[in-house]
Amino acid sequence: MKCHGFDAKARQADLRLDTFEGATEDLGDGYGAIIPGHPEQSEAVRRMLTDDPEDKMPPPKSHLTLTKAQIDTMQRWIAQGAEYQPHWALMKPVAEPAPEVKQTSWPKNDIDRFVLAKMEAHGLAPSPEADKVTLIRRVTLDLTGVPPTPAEVDAFVADDSANAYETVVDRLLASPRYGEKMAMKWLDLARYADTNGYQEDNHRSMFRWRDWVIDAYNSNMPYDEFTIEQLAGDLLPNATTDQKIATGFNRNHRITVEGGVIPEEFRTEYVIDRVETTSTTWLGLTMGCARCHDHKYDPITQKEFYQFFAFFNNVPEAGLGTPGRDRNFDPMIPAPLKADQIKLGEIAAGLTVAEKTLADMEPKIATAQAAYEPTLAAEKEEASLNNGLIAHYPLDGDTNDVAFSGQNGAFRGSEGPYSAGMIDQAADFNGKRSIDLDDVGAFERTNPFSISAWAYPLAANDAAVVARQNEADGVRGYTLYLQRGLVHFQLIAKFPGNALMIVSKAPIASDTWHHLVATYDGSGKAAGAKVYLDGKPLDMTVASDNLTESIYTSVPTRIGGREATGKFLGKIDDVRFYNRPLTADEVAALAGTRAIARAAVKIPLAMRSPAKAHAVRAAFLEKGPAEMRDAFAKVESLKAQQKQILDTAPTVMVMQEMPTPRETHILKRGQYDQPGDKVTAGTPACLPPMAKDLPKNRLGLAKWLVDPSNPLTARVAVNRFWQSYFGTALVKTPENFGTQSEYPSNPELLDWLAVKFIESKWDIKAMQKLIVTSATYRESSHITKEMLEQDPTNKWLARGPRLRLPAESIRDEALAMSGLLVEKIGGPSVKPYQPEGLWAELATPGGIGETFVQDHGDALYRRSLYMYWKRTVPPPMMSAFDAPSREVCTVSRSRTNTPIQALALMNDVVYVEASRKLAERIVAQGGVKPAERLTYAFRLATARKPTADELKVLVDDFNFHLATYFSAPEAAAKLLGAGESNRNPSVDQRELAAYTAVASVILNLDETITRE
Amino acid sequence: MLPENLRNHLSRRAFIKRGAGGIGAAALMTLLNPDLLRAAAKMNADGTMTVPGVLGHTHFPPKAKRIIYLCQSGAPSQIDLFDYKPKLDKLRGTDLPASIRMGQRLTGMTSGQATFPVANSLLKFAQHGKNGTWMSEVWQHLPTVADDICVVRSLYTEAINHDPAITLLHTGSQQAGRPSIGAWSSYGLGSDNQDLPAYIVMISRGSGNPLDQPLYDRLWGSGFLPSKHQGVKFRGTGDPVLYLSNPEGIDGTSRRKMLDDLDKLNQQHLDAVGDPEITTRISQYELAYKMQTSVPELTDFSKEPKEILEMYGPEVMKRGSYASNCLLARRLSERGVRFVQLFHTGWDQHGNLPTQIRGQARDTDQPSAALIKDLKQRGLLDETLVIWAGEFGRTVYSQGAMTADNYGRDHHPRCYSMWMAGGGIKPGITYGETDDFSYNIVKDPVHIHDLNATILRLMGIDHTRLTFRYQGRDFRLTDVHGEVVKGIIA
Repeated sequence: MKCHGFDAKARQADLRLDTFEGATEDLGDGYGAIIPGHPEQSEAVRRMLTDDPEDKMPPPKSHLTLTKAQIDTMQRWIAQGAEYQPHWALMKPVAEPAPEVKQTSWPKNDIDRFVLAKMEAHGLAPSPEADKVTLIRRVTLDLTGVPPTPAEVDAFVADDSANAYETVVDRLLASPRYGEKMAMKWLDLARYADTNGYQEDNHRSMFRWRDWVIDAYNSNMPYDEFTIEQLAGDLLPNATTDQKIATGFNRNHRITVEGGVIPEEFRTEYVIDRVETTSTTWLGLTMGCARCHDHKYDPITQKEFYQFFAFFNNVPEAGLGTPGRDRNFDPMIPAPLKADQIKLGEIAAGLTVAEKTLADMEPKIATAQAAYEPTLAAEKEEASLNNGLIAHYPLDGDTNDVAFSGQNGAFRGSEGPYSAGMIDQAADFNGKRSIDLDDVGAFERTNPFSISAWAYPLAANDAAVVARQNEADGVRGYTLYLQRGLVHFQLIAKFPGNALMIVSKAPIASDTWHHLVATYDGSGKAAGAKVYLDGKPLDMTVASDNLTESIYTSVPTRIGGREATGKFLGKIDDVRFYNRPLTADEVAALAGTRAIARAAVKIPLAMRSPAKAHAVRAAFLEKGPAEMRDAFAKVESLKAQQKQILDTAPTVMVMQEMPTPRETHILKRGQYDQPGDKVTAGTPACLPPMAKDLPKNRLGLAKWLVDPSNPLTARVAVNRFWQSYFGTALVKTPENFGTQSEYPSNPELLDWLAVKFIESKWDIKAMQKLIVTSATYRESSHITKEMLEQDPTNKWLARGPRLRLPAESIRDEALAMSGLLVEKIGGPSVKPYQPEGLWAELATPGGIGETFVQDHGDALYRRSLYMYWKRTVPPPMMSAFDAPSREVCTVSRSRTNTPIQALALMNDVVYVEASRKLAERIVAQGGVKPAERLTYAFRLATARKPTADELKVLVDDFNFHLATYFSAPEAAAKLLGAGESNRNPSVDQRELAAYTAVASVILNLDETITRE
Repeated sequence: MLPENLRNHLSRRAFIKRGAGGIGAAALMTLLNPDLLRAAAKMNADGTMTVPGVLGHTHFPPKAKRIIYLCQSGAPSQIDLFDYKPKLDKLRGTDLPASIRMGQRLTGMTSGQATFPVANSLLKFAQHGKNGTWMSEVWQHLPTVADDICVVRSLYTEAINHDPAITLLHTGSQQAGRPSIGAWSSYGLGSDNQDLPAYIVMISRGSGNPLDQPLYDRLWGSGFLPSKHQGVKFRGTGDPVLYLSNPEGIDGTSRRKMLDDLDKLNQQHLDAVGDPEITTRISQYELAYKMQTSVPELTDFSKEPKEILEMYGPEVMKRGSYASNCLLARRLSERGVRFVQLFHTGWDQHGNLPTQIRGQARDTDQPSAALIKDLKQRGLLDETLVIWAGEFGRTVYSQGAMTADNYGRDHHPRCYSMWMAGGGIKPGITYGETDDFSYNIVKDPVHIHDLNATILRLMGIDHTRLTFRYQGRDFRLTDVHGEVVKGIIA
């Protein structure tokens, strides 16, 4: 197929074998590759059989060979007419009636008839049903990811009713843990993580999207809605906040901040990631293979790849991102929690009423305000703001000082234009020019001073608002500086050793006005330096507090730049220098609306910007007639509440469409800088076309995916469901349904399930229930030698699969059985224990990479899907048990068995602590005698009681350790020191340590980490 | 997961009769770990080697049985280390001719520069060894092994930024998701050592530029290969291997008892349910136990003779240093660990190059040379391939201001230098040439894929035949590229 297939460019000898027409083409005199009905005349067969290396097919250098059986099959097929059919997965699934079976008493639902028919055809018979204890543990772990409690096991065993099992299944499907368990798998597909994935791999915040997934599963959102909202929730009419949050799915890809990258190269990679992730997740197609050339195996052209690409190419995003709030990248939205969303709804309703009231009053207010404005215009600034003012540059069309310092400024680089500012006009800065103030503000380390300015920074600033700093002399001087949104205030004698540097904890927004003030008391100490943002103290970190020498430098003071570098991009307005630290009240007054209003009122009403008009209105109504003031205050207060919620809400990155879509081109060889023909959004021709009424955007694409005529979407979904219960999916390659995929082990069952799923209106819970209530699911997983001989891979499912638990469940189970598990749905990711230094040893020392700060308390015991996921250094225990890095979409995890896993379970503090708490628990709840207590521990881990032989080993182990700790009580104390959870001092510590050791053995049992 | 056919050979009867815990660990391993049923590597009549990995046997007679890969992260400046360009002295400060640059793309860090002033190297060069290999003065010890190493001056890549470039070097793709070269080796050839992982990684910090680039787990990750093939980190702080130490309050005797009882319980359960995967689990616990005892011995240098320690230089006893990692690499290699990879950071000299590069050389010069000598005197160099390489080179033009004694260089993917030694490499030669500006290759270009194809070839692997079927495609380390560089193979 690679050499004679779909890819026209790669096709050899102009021969195409993937279509009937190509393969049977008469190449002259009846000579042809395949002559239907006549294998002996077919050239293809001769070439397969020949020993001549020149003619041999496949050619020896391809390292591909055909077995005799394969050639026989080929000959028989040609003899029967060489009928070509489209690839099975591209034909619409049809649900055939369930087949007749011999053992009619076995099936519990139609799944079983399909499975049993295959078994019978292969001379196999189903295994008996697993015992009830095994069954409830299996289904509880599968549906919720944590084990059943002994009480749940007992209740099920005691329940003789016919629907006892179904009752359990219904209970589990209704448990909120179900949504968490389902989400685990989806997070791998969605390459969900808490970091950006490139270089220093710093923080981002997508947990609101993750919580949306959990909620969606728990509320049993149908799979079609689940699909549409994640791919195009933003394009739905009147999209809700939740629907927008859902689109975070396609913003979970990695984003780079590496200095020096070519942005378009990476933006292209982001779009390609969306194409690959979306096509793999919903279609099971490897569209990425058609990035550089037509697909070698599947009927997808390179052009079709870029048509699909066009759907995802219209996001207003940057290739080289600048992190904003929560270190997320645009586009992003505030994503308030549920309670706050409700509150916002109430505020919005109140606001409608209040605004109406105010609007009704408008004529009266306007008249009264007009009468008041001259008074406002004549008002003087608060007197104290002139105390210590040594220079003041309003930047209203010139660089003159109005505080009589005698030093006017001058533009350097080029004369600057001015444009509408915060107060009258502001100076524009283009990253090249700055304003030279000569010796104004030539402060020394021992001088108290303040600098105040309005600034409107564009994104990606790495520049000074004000500086007097000489890079050529150890960066000596001082500056109020912005770097990727972080506000720095630096006083430097020699960088980096002799300096006072403070930096804001969070970045400030770009593309908006901010009032910035830096104050310094002349003490030389970081405690004497403050920064205010918009009139309020800004939360700062001390980066350096070791200033002991002079900061005086002879280079001029500058607005908008250091001496050589750090030139500002954006606008700066109203810069003031003081020779004293301003007080918090004074700063508030400087940043207050009254100051703006006094300036704004001088502008004719019709020419005032909305912000300025509002400032004047507020200044008037502050002291205006009560009725008007109250109506205005009501609106203002509601808006402030609204803003407060939105400003403090967690954010999430989302999909958005640009007003004018980007042009999409075929990229030659997949290279970002080699655009070819222009293409528009479209779906591959090998699949049914998009309905005419669907828009050619993501919404249309999402609806097309879940159209019942789509042959892949339902099959791919049910196949993955099947995989999560049986280990191996019906199509063994769930990430690929193309021609190179494995043929389904039970195609009739796959299609029946797919059709059933669509007919159920994509009911996800119903599909899980259907599978786990089948007799097939309930089979015992015991293996005999005969079974291994007859069906080593369990393809025909004559036994239940025995599967090691996924990484998350292994940890969750240990937390659950020891009583440590803290159950709380959602929220920011948590950082439980991990070995020291794992992040630091890979990061740039002292660089921008974040340091790992372990959490404490409840955060240590949350379910593992809430563990903080740093892609370049994932939690090591998760990696050891085969969790992927989440750098790219992953459909299946490997299931390995390694010594590192053994070391982790034996020695990782979380398991030692869980052993200790399990020991405490069995001492408290498990009876009195060691045998009783150990039986209880064994039940907590495996749900069943130990056999007499097993119990003998456990008790013997306990006695050994008890003797050890009696002779070495200090060792007992050390062991019991594991972890941060409370210790129970009322139990004999030596005894407790001995139980802890046995509990550790129990946690390490193969059976404990396996779902039988 | 083990190959089905092998697992099925294991009769569970064998386990039932066996007294749990009463059997020697080695015997247990051989009995229970089917990987080892194929036995350790063995030479065949045709010179190929039987290996416990998926290949079963190498495609060619292997010239290198083991690899020690000294990755120099950050991009060492070829112009200041190996690629001697005397003509630049006269061109100092002149603008890089457009005929040389040919409009090639630059990083966002220098693409805005108004001029591209040529910066000649301020370091003196001299020829060393029988064939006169050029090396700069920063190398004080490397010249003593000049006759053992092969300097390649014509390596090139497409990536111009660190993250994608170092990812390409190690996985054959600029984007994340593919297996690393060490993982491919583990997958294809398996492990030659019963107590240690097949692929071990160590990290050290350069003192030249301590604010250098970060590293990523993916550089030794397993991508879509089974995750047991991922590199195991030997760490410079804390436990050398994660979770190696018993918790406080559990001593060796207690651990042995716990493992014996765990083994008994697992055996009993195996008898009850018959899943051969349990036998693998049992053997992995034994292997973990053996690592608990063998790794501390391995990382303890106290029995190394004084002259050996001195050979590796003053930092050798400082755990986590490059010198310490080099000696540890030798000890791992001696014990049959097939792929040992060191990462040394600090080579990103955008500014202050003359000072920084001396710091980097100080870290790596003596230990690298010592490693080669040490392997040689033990007769191991012939079968151990040592590789010294970074992710790309550096520009001939200065980044930022150039002064009498200072300059910096930006990223340069079009050509750079590396060296290899031992394991089937022609010793003492220099391969490939660049133009007078060390900007373009004029002779014998070697792409990253060619380098990787060559490394695999030396291990006895045809790079086109070590594949893994994923998403319907047979993936390989070299993607669809790669030519073995015959000119450097002995």
